[in-house]
Amino acid sequence: MLVLATVGLTHYLVLAAAVFCIGVWVMVTKRNAIGVLIGVELVLNASNINLVAMSRYLHGIDGQVVALFVIVLAAAEAAIAVAIVMNFYRNLATVDVDRGTSLKN
Amino acid sequence: MWCASIGYWLPSGNDLMRVGPDLALIAAIVLILLTTMVTGRRALATAVIVMLGLTAGFLLNWNAGVWVSHHGPDTILEPVPASMIIVDGFTVYFRFLLLIFLAGVTSFWLLGANRQEKDSPEFFTLLLGSAVGMSLMVSTLNLLMIVVAMELASLPSYALAAFDRNSRKGAEAAVKYVIFGSITAATMVYGVSLLYGLFGTLNLAEIAQQMPFVLAEHGRTPLFYLAILAFAVGVGFKISAVPFHFWCPDVFEGARVEVTMWLSVASKAAGLCLLLRVMQTLAAGPTGAVGEYVGPIAGAIGLFAALTCFVGNLSAYRQTSVKRLLAYSSIAHAGYMLMLGAILLRPELSEGAWTAIIAYLLIYMFMNLGAFGVTALVEHYSGSDHIEQFNGLGRRAPWLAVAMAVCLFSLVGLPPLGGFLAKWWLLWALADGGGWLWALVIWACLNTAFSLFYYARIIKHMFLTEDTREKMRVPMSGVAIVQLCAVVLILTGTILAAPIRTAATRYAQGLLQSRTAETLTLTDHAPDETHESMLHH
Repeated sequence: MLVLATVGLTHYLVLAAAVFCIGVWVMVTKRNAIGVLIGVELVLNASNINLVAMSRYLHGIDGQVVALFVIVLAAAEAAIAVAIVMNFYRNLATVDVDRGTSLKN
Repeated sequence: MWCASIGYWLPSGNDLMRVGPDLALIAAIVLILLTTMVTGRRALATAVIVMLGLTAGFLLNWNAGVWVSHHGPDTILEPVPASMIIVDGFTVYFRFLLLIFLAGVTSFWLLGANRQEKDSPEFFTLLLGSAVGMSLMVSTLNLLMIVVAMELASLPSYALAAFDRNSRKGAEAAVKYVIFGSITAATMVYGVSLLYGLFGTLNLAEIAQQMPFVLAEHGRTPLFYLAILAFAVGVGFKISAVPFHFWCPDVFEGARVEVTMWLSVASKAAGLCLLLRVMQTLAAGPTGAVGEYVGPIAGAIGLFAALTCFVGNLSAYRQTSVKRLLAYSSIAHAGYMLMLGAILLRPELSEGAWTAIIAYLLIYMFMNLGAFGVTALVEHYSGSDHIEQFNGLGRRAPWLAVAMAVCLFSLVGLPPLGGFLAKWWLLWALADGGGWLWALVIWACLNTAFSLFYYARIIKHMFLTEDTREKMRVPMSGVAIVQLCAVVLILTGTILAAPIRTAATRYAQGLLQSRTAETLTLTDHAPDETHESMLHH
């Protein structure tokens, strides 16, 4: 109980920053398109944690409204991205983003 | 406060008229989908609906423009000073450009669309969707709305890039686009969440008001820099400024030529206008929100603009795909326009900057519409956009070749064409700043001289390279459109130059006056008494 009582804004922000860093690391290191998209989702959810925690702290609801919008945007983006990756797979039989090399000078 | 505002929650009919052009485009999307269900997939029916939507949008925008010029800018949902949607002179102007450009893209799609008649409804649904997003990007100062509008502009663009399902290049281009785009968008959303936490509001005008106080109170925390940087990543991607330009040539080469045309002008212009509006808002704070940081910020923007120019021009040099060449050229032009960001934060120079940007956008649109239009026709009627397909075009399709030459010379910035004047005004506005801005001016001139080489290469292929192929049969309507662009460029470079300059100056003055008025009303609302008291210390 004591531990729960001391959880404040900073803890949430640190959690969000950690999720953000993991997301960025995933985006940068993964060569698999689906892997990169998972990294993107992590970053988006890091901002959601941020928004909701700050909204609570600032006593407004703006942040929570933004978080709802971000959830919807993330879903829409994932839908389009996965469709495009499927199309990439149909044409090149791989989901490795480095394999796409027909567009080079 | 929220309960009190519920009575105002629904926008009035008057407010709806101000966003009429966006609504007209949305109505056209719905109509296209319904018609497709009833009559099946028909390119012609779709095109008629699109043109009706564009005409309605044009008229409504005209109406909004008249209203704005009489009553000043309209902020929708005004009682809460949230600036969700701002309809001012700049919004109206940008919408006009967008609608004219949409009409051009629509025409070129129809000219080359005999094969893909079946796909027209999807194409136009996506195209109009992204147009609505771009229009909203330029008419808001709310962080939430900026995020939503940018996604609304981006998501259909990703799908448009992958429009040819069986094209290997298209698939690759779309994957690069969507991966790069979603990474930058996610980073930007994180930046927005930090900005919200730092300033407790999503309204950029209020953020501008509070910025000096918050900075004085907490000092410059790394979090603040991270927030600004993350936000800049998202906008930089849209403009394809260095170092976020890697997606641009690949996407432009892989996508269909109409899509390239759309992304190269509309998407970039929207990102740029968003950036300029945000910077203008920051500059209009109580003491100039960014205060002593004007110098460093201007320096950073100038540096990135110079790099963007240089990378664009250098990479364009050895391209053999004309689409790719024009893609790099559009990166370079984004760099020239971005240079104006360096002087926008200084109030005494902002009028010149706005005048230059308004004129540049107009002329830039016609130059690219013409150049991409010719490329589209050549690609449709010879199957490729390789530079060798342009061989002997001066004999095979003289009218096309002449229009292309005019557009290319205008892109270089040679007199007596519109491109020259646009660039001249831009550099003049920069030179007014004096000091290190002269370095930018000289840099831009060197770049311009360098760019002559790769533009002239296309012209060499068109007029000086022998080619024995027979004449190219292109539809008259296509030739008419590109010729129209060429004529506009010649006129804007000569007899229309003075009227355009006057109109742009008047527009810029109107914008700045309304912006000052807006700042004044916002100061009344600003609920930060603690901050006020800090000011008196």
